[in-house]
Amino acid sequence: MSGVADDTAVVVDQVSKKFRLFHERNQTLKSAVMRRRRIVADDFWAVRNVSFEVPQGETFGLIGRNGSSKSTLLKTLARIYVPDEGRVVMNGRVSSMLEVGSGFHPELSGRENIFLNGSILGLTRKQVTARFDEIVDFSGVETFIDQPVKNYSSGMYVRLGVAVAVHTDPDILIVDEILSVGDGAFIEKSRKKFLEFTGQGRTIILVSHSLPQVREMCHQVAWLDGGRLRAVGPTDEVVAAYGASIEAESS
Amino acid sequence: MAASYARELIATRELLLNLTMREVKGQYRRTALGQLWSIINPLATMLVYTLVFAFIFRAEPPPGDPSGLDLYPLWLMCGLLPWMYVTRVITGGVASITNNAGLITKVYFPRMHLPLSVALSTGITFGVELGVLTIALWIFGGFPLPWLPLVVQAMGVLAMFATGIAMLLAILNVHFRDTQHFVSILLPMWMFLTPIIYPISLVEDAAARAGEWILQVYQLNPMLHIVEVFRALLYDNRLPGAVESLAAIGSASVVFAVGYLVFSRHERRLAELL
Repeated sequence: MSGVADDTAVVVDQVSKKFRLFHERNQTLKSAVMRRRRIVADDFWAVRNVSFEVPQGETFGLIGRNGSSKSTLLKTLARIYVPDEGRVVMNGRVSSMLEVGSGFHPELSGRENIFLNGSILGLTRKQVTARFDEIVDFSGVETFIDQPVKNYSSGMYVRLGVAVAVHTDPDILIVDEILSVGDGAFIEKSRKKFLEFTGQGRTIILVSHSLPQVREMCHQVAWLDGGRLRAVGPTDEVVAAYGASIEAESS
Repeated sequence: MAASYARELIATRELLLNLTMREVKGQYRRTALGQLWSIINPLATMLVYTLVFAFIFRAEPPPGDPSGLDLYPLWLMCGLLPWMYVTRVITGGVASITNNAGLITKVYFPRMHLPLSVALSTGITFGVELGVLTIALWIFGGFPLPWLPLVVQAMGVLAMFATGIAMLLAILNVHFRDTQHFVSILLPMWMFLTPIIYPISLVEDAAARAGEWILQVYQLNPMLHIVEVFRALLYDNRLPGAVESLAAIGSASVVFAVGYLVFSRHERRLAELL
């Protein structure tokens, strides 16, 4: 990693991401042939020239209104999207929780799904086995662990998904809004787990719409507005500026 | 780039095994007969084709040489089981990306594991089917056992061929969802253009009457050679001819290489296309 200081976990360097907006929605062979290779599309820059650095062991928040491309940026960090310009450097193993329980197979049992989901998130079978009891304990679904997950309540489903994800022990964890699900006790449990994470020198990048939560958890915050970086810095300053702008607009 | 992608695939091989287990275990959940279905299916197909093509159309494949076997249902299955494998891998593989859109847009992992897991899980079914067929061949007087190591290699060649096509079409299917519908029309056509349910001698007769070019065009089909290899090993109990073997290995390698390159080049952008 040339040019990156050892205590920097994530470098986002002038990242831009564009999508093509097709005017004709139906992607059929017929319409492609009829258009004769002439693709009717506009480029839409969802993320434009965003740069920031995240120091190791910190929690970094992304805030902004709906449609400000927080999730697109997060997906670019998680390697799900490829940036069209700029670069993203990740110092360490990355794990992402953009949706809990993605990859759960409804007909398989909770136990089987823990192993399946663990390996999707990059764990070996041995690592999952070592953490199995912890995961089950964290999720609180012990009694139902051998039932197919389609019989789970939505709360149990989410708790099991979060439990697997927080036990992947990545160096950098990318989280999208998942703390807005689950009951109060479970959110508290997850929050403690995150604090433990950063205490161990791991880095968390999260998106949240809950400003109190951001204030409480994040060391630094980036404020996105229409795909551009409006401000980045210590949580209190940026959140205050963001809050003021929302208030100004609604009054 | 292709090489570094291969390294990534190998590093995450456990995911491939888990995705394969997901396919295998999930497939027959909540069915009373469970994995038996993977045997019942080909048996039922065998009955129908035997009834129609051995009794009504009177297809008469040559007896196995040197095995001496002369039973249409067994001859049929030696070609039909490899074909069914190809069909399942292609249909399953083509849809593997679009069916797992939820996963692809939420987590990063090498996407090629999806079509590969279809090929592997179908391969398990294929292996069981071939096992049952081997026992049947043995009971009825053949002696396929010494040829099994070569059969396993032929399975590998077949898997490369089917997976290559599946990967290519899976990418195409992301751009044009018509692909999976085209595939379901083209696969049966392809089957009837391959000597699976009828012996190639019928085509040779037709070519003798209507022109040799028919046979030459007909033999461009790689599946023809792959099926011949399986029949030589299992039904005839002999080494397959050099031409068939080379054609099978050559076409499978080319198809797999093209599928691999196209897939690995396009996989980075799959999430935004879904």
